[in-house]
Amino acid sequence: MGFDALFSAGYEIVAGGSFLYLLAGVLLGLCFGVIPGLGGTTALALLIPVTYNMDPLAAMYLAGGVMGATSFGGSITAILLNTPGTAPNAATTFDGYPLAQQGKAGLAIGASAAASALGGLIGLFTLLLFIPLAKQIVLSFGPSEFFLLTVLGLTAIAVSVRGKLLRGLIAGCVGLIFAFVGADAISGELRFTGGVGYLWDGIPLVPTLTGMFAISQMIELALKGGSVADAEATPGSMKVTGVWAGVKSVFTHWPVLLRGSFIGTIIGAIPGLGGTVASFLAYSSTVQTDKDPDSYGKGNIKGVIAPEAANNAKDGGSLIPTIAFGIPGSAETALFLGILVLHGIDPGPAILLYHEREIYGLIVALTLSAVGASLLGLLLSRYLILITKVDVGVVVPVVVAISLTGVYVLDGRMADVILTLVMGVIGYLMIRFDYPRLTLVIALVLGETAEKSLHQVQLISDNQVLAYMFDRPISVILIVATVLTFLLPMVRQVMARRKMSPM
Amino acid sequence: MSKFLIKGAVAVAMLAAGPALAEFPLEDKVTLVVPYSAGGGFDTIARIFAPAVEVALGTTVVPDNIPGASGTRGGQAVSRADADGYTIGIYNIPGLNVAEILGRELGFDLSSVTWIANLAQSKYGIAVVADSPIQTVQDLCNLDHSIKLSDTGTNSTSSITAVIAFNIMGCSIVNVTGYSGSNDTMIAVMRGEVDATLKPISSLAKYIESGDLRLIATLTEETVVEGVQNAADLGYPELAQFGLSRVIGGPADMPAEIVATLSAAFQIAAASEEVMAWAESTGTELNWLNAEDTTAMMAEISEFYLQYEDLLK
Repeated sequence: MGFDALFSAGYEIVAGGSFLYLLAGVLLGLCFGVIPGLGGTTALALLIPVTYNMDPLAAMYLAGGVMGATSFGGSITAILLNTPGTAPNAATTFDGYPLAQQGKAGLAIGASAAASALGGLIGLFTLLLFIPLAKQIVLSFGPSEFFLLTVLGLTAIAVSVRGKLLRGLIAGCVGLIFAFVGADAISGELRFTGGVGYLWDGIPLVPTLTGMFAISQMIELALKGGSVADAEATPGSMKVTGVWAGVKSVFTHWPVLLRGSFIGTIIGAIPGLGGTVASFLAYSSTVQTDKDPDSYGKGNIKGVIAPEAANNAKDGGSLIPTIAFGIPGSAETALFLGILVLHGIDPGPAILLYHEREIYGLIVALTLSAVGASLLGLLLSRYLILITKVDVGVVVPVVVAISLTGVYVLDGRMADVILTLVMGVIGYLMIRFDYPRLTLVIALVLGETAEKSLHQVQLISDNQVLAYMFDRPISVILIVATVLTFLLPMVRQVMARRKMSPM
Repeated sequence: MSKFLIKGAVAVAMLAAGPALAEFPLEDKVTLVVPYSAGGGFDTIARIFAPAVEVALGTTVVPDNIPGASGTRGGQAVSRADADGYTIGIYNIPGLNVAEILGRELGFDLSSVTWIANLAQSKYGIAVVADSPIQTVQDLCNLDHSIKLSDTGTNSTSSITAVIAFNIMGCSIVNVTGYSGSNDTMIAVMRGEVDATLKPISSLAKYIESGDLRLIATLTEETVVEGVQNAADLGYPELAQFGLSRVIGGPADMPAEIVATLSAAFQIAAASEEVMAWAESTGTELNWLNAEDTTAMMAEISEFYLQYEDLLK
């Protein structure tokens, strides 16, 4: 069955001219990934008109190349400038940037490259295993499960902000308030829009993320001056070392890689959650289960491996709903399906039956792209790392101009640019007063799904929400997982105290 | 319409359009505003038509996505443009009419849009999960609870159709909205969250062919599928008036000859091999109407939905 198609798709890529499309996609994806404000979604949206005159399979290779490469590209900026190149790289900044500041950017980039490639491969391998079950998987996740997943995500946020719980909760609540701006997804009623038409569709994610992470960080850098990497930590030399040590570190920390990939695949399969949530959950679960959680945020390599593995693995997961019913699991797959429609292919439940060639073409392209982007990145890393030595007076204006242009390009709205700047200032204030920015963003992402699916469960269950949830096995598992996530830090504290007391 | 008739119509249109084509368009490109993001239904039909219209017009046709504010930003951009035929747009009908009736600020006057052509129309069907005991709409109405239906948003055309149609039939419904696409609404039926869904027949078709869903009625004048009730069988022939149209329009007061030229170009495009092959493979029901008929259709649609103003509010 599938393996024949997989083989022929692989053969076609090597034999035909498709390899060039794939390579073009990878290069484009890397560039769009590296530049803050531009991401895979923007790249694919801009590519849709270009693919019009292409053969559908060539379009798939181009799209697959882009999808597989952006997240690694984004991690480079996250590590070197503390500015995630794409939204899902936000969690990579926590430990990637401290490493760069210590002059160990090579180590971080090496780890990110290996984790991205392997995470992507694991995600796609899992996808291939689960293709026969894809329909059942999609059918067992309804609004009740979506809601409980968002609650699990919010719980993970709450427990992940170590030592500054109150600040984390405040940031999370602000994120939820932002999420509720705009038309109610169910009733269509307008809320908190203050008469501004722009806010009808809610606070858009890309400008918020770009402002919160790129602009705010540029304000911070501009005020600080100098260059990113500490001159004393990297005395005199411009030598880049540690890239291969970084690659190797992924193999020594394989449980972290596996857990990250696994979380990425699952979250990827849930429409509406996406890479930002996947990589954040992978990061926070790695911190939570580590013996030494305090070493994170200061340059622990495991803090780079987990989110980057999750980030690439989610592409495999996001194809599960696509293969089962032709529905998108992520913003990128939505655009991928758009390309198919443009080529006269109507995505639906029979997509795998009639369009095996295109689907497996995309899977092969994603696989090659994840690996190719990492190899390319490793080759370029010694030059890229020089960015950290460049004076911020040069870095700041370039990044601000490019990222604001990127935000404008997506929908062509000036209001998006203004929102980005506003969020930049808020983000900078959050850095100054030590509030976690990612907590706010994750709450913004989860808030809408949480509200909408709870409302749906109310309608479906005739307001018997709890009874309905306890009737569904997967819902029950999620409730248990949420309770455990909440209790785990307390249990650890108690355990730690017990260990101490006999002494 | 038979192929012969289409060819005849194209020939007539070409003859009629001949003189006007000489004056418009000159060298400028024609911008076709799409009020939604790239990749959606409106974007797709615009991009499928664009190259064929390009050939017919002899000038470049560029689809321009201006998404936002529930598809009104694109309409606003068109209304602000010069009425010279170089900026036209595709409109979501009756979505915009209903929004206007509900008193929402569109940012432009729908009644002053110069209608150029109707491209396609979809009719609705009602489907249940394949192994459901429900056989007819009557069975659905006789359930011991309000009929639960799945939909994307309260303001979506199919949701509005469901509210009005079931009201006409005297059955009470609960519209579970918030699903992120029409495919998701059908999967909700399969998961058993809702009893049925009302969607364009072309969307339902994929799931009916795959054996996941079963059609129990179509809101059409004629029988579409043997053994499945149509509007007349249901006893409410007026239900056949519902539909989703993809309509081309331009800024207010466009010169008649430019409108005729553009309309003819879309007619030629609608009959072109590429467009017809695409329509065939995606189940799109092409239904080209000239400017006059499109304008009349628009007036009819507004009037039809105005009757249900109170129900929708």
